[in-house]
Amino acid sequence: MGIVKEFVKGLWNDNPTFRLQIGLCPTLAVTSSALNGVGMGAATTFVLMCSSILISALRNVIPSKVRIPCFIVVIATFSTVVDLVMNALLPDLHRVLGIFIPLIVVNCILMGRAEAFASKRPVFDAAIDGLGMGIGFTWALTLIGTVRELLGAGSLFGYKLVSDTAATFGIFSVAPGAFITVGFLLAAMNMISTRLRKTSKEA
Amino acid sequence: MNESVRMIVVLAVIAMLSGGLLAGVYEWTSGIIAENELREMQSSVFQVLPGTVRIELLDTAPSTLVEDDPTTMREVEQTTTQIFVGYDDRDDVTGFAFVGEGAGYGGAIRILVGVDDNSGAILGLAVLSHSETPGLGSKIEEASFRNQFVGKTLDDPIAVGKDINALTGATVSSRAVTEAVRRGFADAAAAYERSR
Repeated sequence: MGIVKEFVKGLWNDNPTFRLQIGLCPTLAVTSSALNGVGMGAATTFVLMCSSILISALRNVIPSKVRIPCFIVVIATFSTVVDLVMNALLPDLHRVLGIFIPLIVVNCILMGRAEAFASKRPVFDAAIDGLGMGIGFTWALTLIGTVRELLGAGSLFGYKLVSDTAATFGIFSVAPGAFITVGFLLAAMNMISTRLRKTSKEA
Repeated sequence: MNESVRMIVVLAVIAMLSGGLLAGVYEWTSGIIAENELREMQSSVFQVLPGTVRIELLDTAPSTLVEDDPTTMREVEQTTTQIFVGYDDRDDVTGFAFVGEGAGYGGAIRILVGVDDNSGAILGLAVLSHSETPGLGSKIEEASFRNQFVGKTLDDPIAVGKDINALTGATVSSRAVTEAVRRGFADAAAAYERSR
């Protein structure tokens, strides 16, 4: 199992959002704009990498019966650290993402990777896995956020592309629009994957 | 037996280390966070009170600034939470600014209203924090909505449908801001008068 493979799988084949379909709660909630997607993705990536490294390092110390509480303590600690540091150094981003940062704790991606990967593999592999999964999560969130912001607010990364009076699809700014967007993007991902598989078979 | 002891020790050690780390990070960030909030509040006051270079928190709180009523166990409504007095570069009073709070669609909306010392008219309004629907209620932040309050005095009705136009699709948010302005205005003005 090469390092590259461990990293790349999070980007496409095992993409947390589009493939594993875990952690959808924050995905639907924060992606009303592209910047929110980038911010949430970056924060989750940081927590995911740190917790993966630590859990992997402690994998022979933690008794298996209390592994879940140990994982939660580690993940909650890093989430709180991100919350405080972001509030201090990036107050603007924190104002937008504030209520979602504590929710990183209950994001299934973190528990999922800790249980399925980090607790069984060496530190370096766990770090690469966490980074790949985090970046996969980030690009997925950014893509969803971009689509929703374009359609819902007529802007991109905060820059208005249409006039203030132009009508936009307000539904894409709110929860139903998130479901619709994720549905269409999932369909597109599946289509691309099927095509790729076909061409590789033919070749 | 041995295993249960190990379980307890490992979990306890991890929890202790985590507590220590969090205490350290909190110690480091709490000062910066408080500074950020103060700076943000200052720049908001400068924005709603043009010409202001220095602000002071007013000590005299309005009589409605009561947190809890112990007899009924119900929270008494707060019409305004903070009042600032602004000074210009010659140290003359420019006016006062008060923080108002209203119940919006997605939670509390906190606004800051600047009032001119001479005319008693509103000079500007800034939205400090809100959790309204993006694209609908969030338009309370836009100048075209906020500027409707400029020039209003205590004699104006300041009510949606009378002299304030609600945002399309965001009646609750518009009403919350308007209520916050109207209710805070009288109490803040009274408290400001008492302090002069």
